[in-house]
Amino acid sequence: MFGFVLSVLTLLSLHGNVDTVSVITTPGVVTAVRQTVEIGRIASPATTIGIGEIAELHITTQKTLSAIVPSLHIPDYGTGMTSTIYMRGMGSRMENPVLGLYIDDIPIIDKNTYDIPMLGLSGMTLLRGPQGTVYGRNSMGGVLSLHTLSPSSFKGTKALIEWGTANTASATVSHYRGKDALTIGFHHTDGFFDNVFTGKKADPGNGVDLRWKREFGSGEWNLTNTAVASFSDEGGFAYGRFLDGELQRVNYDGKAGYTRLSVMDGLKAGKSFDKASLNLIGSVQLLADRMRMDQDYSPESIFSLEQSQRSAALTFEAILKPFHSDERWHSTTGLFFMGKFNHMDAPVNFFRDGIESLILENANKNIPESIGYIDFMMDTLPVSSVFGIWTGDLALYHESVLSLGRWDLTAGLRLDLEGGLMNYDCASDITYRFFPTMRSPKILPCTYRGDENHLGFEILPKLSAMYNGPSHGLKLYGTVSKGYKAGGFNTQIFSDIMQSVMMNALMDDLGVHFDEEFQSVGAGNTEYKPEEAWNFEAGIRISPAEWFRLEASLYNILIRNQQLTVFPPGKSIGRMMTNAGRSRSTGAEVETDLRKGGFHGMLSYGWNDARFTSFHDGNAEYSGNKVPYVPSQTLFAMAEYSFAIGGKALKEISLQASANGTGEIYWNEANTIKEPFHLLLGGMVSFSFPKATVFLRGDNLTGEKYRTFYFKSIGNEFFQSGKPRRITLGVSLNFPKR
Amino acid sequence: MKHLVKWALLAFMILLFSSCKKDEPAPVPVKADYLGTVTVTFRGEDVDTDKIEVNFTPSADGKTADILIKKIKFVPQMPVTLDITIPGVTLTAKNNGFELSGEGLVPLAMGGEFPQYTVSGLYGLVAGDKISFLLKFGDYPTKYTGTKL
Repeated sequence: MFGFVLSVLTLLSLHGNVDTVSVITTPGVVTAVRQTVEIGRIASPATTIGIGEIAELHITTQKTLSAIVPSLHIPDYGTGMTSTIYMRGMGSRMENPVLGLYIDDIPIIDKNTYDIPMLGLSGMTLLRGPQGTVYGRNSMGGVLSLHTLSPSSFKGTKALIEWGTANTASATVSHYRGKDALTIGFHHTDGFFDNVFTGKKADPGNGVDLRWKREFGSGEWNLTNTAVASFSDEGGFAYGRFLDGELQRVNYDGKAGYTRLSVMDGLKAGKSFDKASLNLIGSVQLLADRMRMDQDYSPESIFSLEQSQRSAALTFEAILKPFHSDERWHSTTGLFFMGKFNHMDAPVNFFRDGIESLILENANKNIPESIGYIDFMMDTLPVSSVFGIWTGDLALYHESVLSLGRWDLTAGLRLDLEGGLMNYDCASDITYRFFPTMRSPKILPCTYRGDENHLGFEILPKLSAMYNGPSHGLKLYGTVSKGYKAGGFNTQIFSDIMQSVMMNALMDDLGVHFDEEFQSVGAGNTEYKPEEAWNFEAGIRISPAEWFRLEASLYNILIRNQQLTVFPPGKSIGRMMTNAGRSRSTGAEVETDLRKGGFHGMLSYGWNDARFTSFHDGNAEYSGNKVPYVPSQTLFAMAEYSFAIGGKALKEISLQASANGTGEIYWNEANTIKEPFHLLLGGMVSFSFPKATVFLRGDNLTGEKYRTFYFKSIGNEFFQSGKPRRITLGVSLNFPKR
Repeated sequence: MKHLVKWALLAFMILLFSSCKKDEPAPVPVKADYLGTVTVTFRGEDVDTDKIEVNFTPSADGKTADILIKKIKFVPQMPVTLDITIPGVTLTAKNNGFELSGEGLVPLAMGGEFPQYTVSGLYGLVAGDKISFLLKFGDYPTKYTGTKL
């Protein structure tokens, strides 16, 4: 593939005499304030998508960016809470993401709010590779910056109404007037997967979203306030059991779904002084959510989880860009602060089947029958777990770009101090009886309380060099940069810890002792450190004319302190995240865009080989194996042709075909089960009128059967299937105010 | 004067009598914890287990005591150890200590009575910082010697 890229470049270089243009210049896209120079001069591959392409590619959520951005894979499974992002061989199912998300330069702190509809956007930019120096935490795989449409660049009303398969419908209206832009959107789906047990759809959903942007001045300050509110109530977790080589239908009895209310308000204030420009960005971010999960995903009543969170975060950033007397020097200096508190209530309920199979069976198997046996005199065993988690981050960074002839040299450094404090309070009352010795049941209160904390310091350097060619908009670059994914605490493992605590308390109360205690992991083991990545990258960017651009890059990323799930030592049945390994991710990416006359073609391809260089999960050695859940290839190809009709009513007819491919994906660390490369074909036909465009869109037109997620629960294997064929009919309306 | 001598003599006799009582106090059993070795005879062989804790808890009137033996195994193959309480062991003051005795005592374990291991032939002594006793737990002859913790 890289040879192909070089061939194209060689061919282009023969033609010469084409004006240099800034790479990936898409109308409506605003350069983020943190960047020292414009996107085209940054020595990192960047995918920029403008307002037209957002509609053209039907980008409605982050998940729809998969494969459109090379090496980006955001599988569609679980619920809206599940924002698992894989980028360049990095990523993890749980906890912190590898991709930073910004809306109008405001960092979105909570991963649970990542998966909200993208409404009222003017464009987006995704920088690939570690961007730790300027963007800090959780930008190890890259940064996605979303920009909402400014009321100063458009006035009038826009609307989009869609309806399709599974009664999946949405309606969005945006109004731009004066200094304000207001967008409101609704969406609904009946769901795509049946739950055999309930006879209902497993994944219905409803939601409403609101955006309000106000641009106003106060003296010499330019102020922009962006408010984002989102409410959704959905089903989810459409997981079917994989048994005897066959994927069975969704079939579980417990409640499942996710309800979320998130509110974010961010204020950006900018002012140009004589010698520098200053931007101050602050935000308040609130989240209230509730997730229900049948943890065994089976018709048996084993155990369930209901997790509620109430979190509040504050961010503040000051960004100073001096006007250097030497125009060859550009710099950015920033100070960043983030503080977040999350109150999490995560009770686990063990039902009768679970009490017997997960707890009593485990306890009684070691007690001789001649002595007796334990029974719980309750049909439901609630185990409460309440957490208060504080997270704080303070960072200082600087980046300078020096232009020397055709060279742009960049050096940057970020000092990042991050800490966390977790307070935990777990409790359960067991009503039990030991047969035959106890004459009546006894209530045994069990508690596990305490706190844990961590503090870490990260140094995040960046060095890059870019050569600006004499023609064709040719740029060659090389970059060395570091990024990190924040550390944290394993709250999931507390359910296991409490099971051990309860069993030990019960045995102590009975005066029966096993040679080995149940508890092998305590709260002290629940902390995990930041994961770090060093990126070594070389790339080429070429744009010989406005109608064509191409970018290709090669990278090698070394990942240390990789956050991986392992089996804790001892008798615990769960898994917990820890810094268990190292890996290496090598890859190549190509991205090209061609517009000529009525034709528009796009091609994105990412190849990746991510392997553990050191990983033992407590049971087995996996060094040399492929990192699971990461696709080795992503492919997106789109071709569209617009026929100009030129009538008074019908202006244009467009035909579009697309292919979106992902795979292969290994589903486990042992690399014994995998998803082959699969291709989803799509198409669209649209009719453009003066103020409206009517379109008919198809996704996964061939009904390709593929799987998006795999996991094991209490020894059973499960998959979520990808969504089936979908047809959507829609109309977009545009009423600019003259 | 005679009265005075008589009263003085009476007071002296009372004093003498009361001082005689102080010289011979009734022994009182004291709650104490011991660490020692338990020996269970299994199929004719003695099986020793060290570091076994015993809690000695006298009753309020000092006539009986409960003896809790912690983490005892009766046979080496037992996958668990048990805490067993022998309730109502008779105490008899003897030799600056107490003689322990009991017959047909039903031990308490696992939240209730444990009649399979009914205690017979219990005999022992608590004196100074030592405790020792032997008994049969059901069919298992058991011996314990420990020192105060």
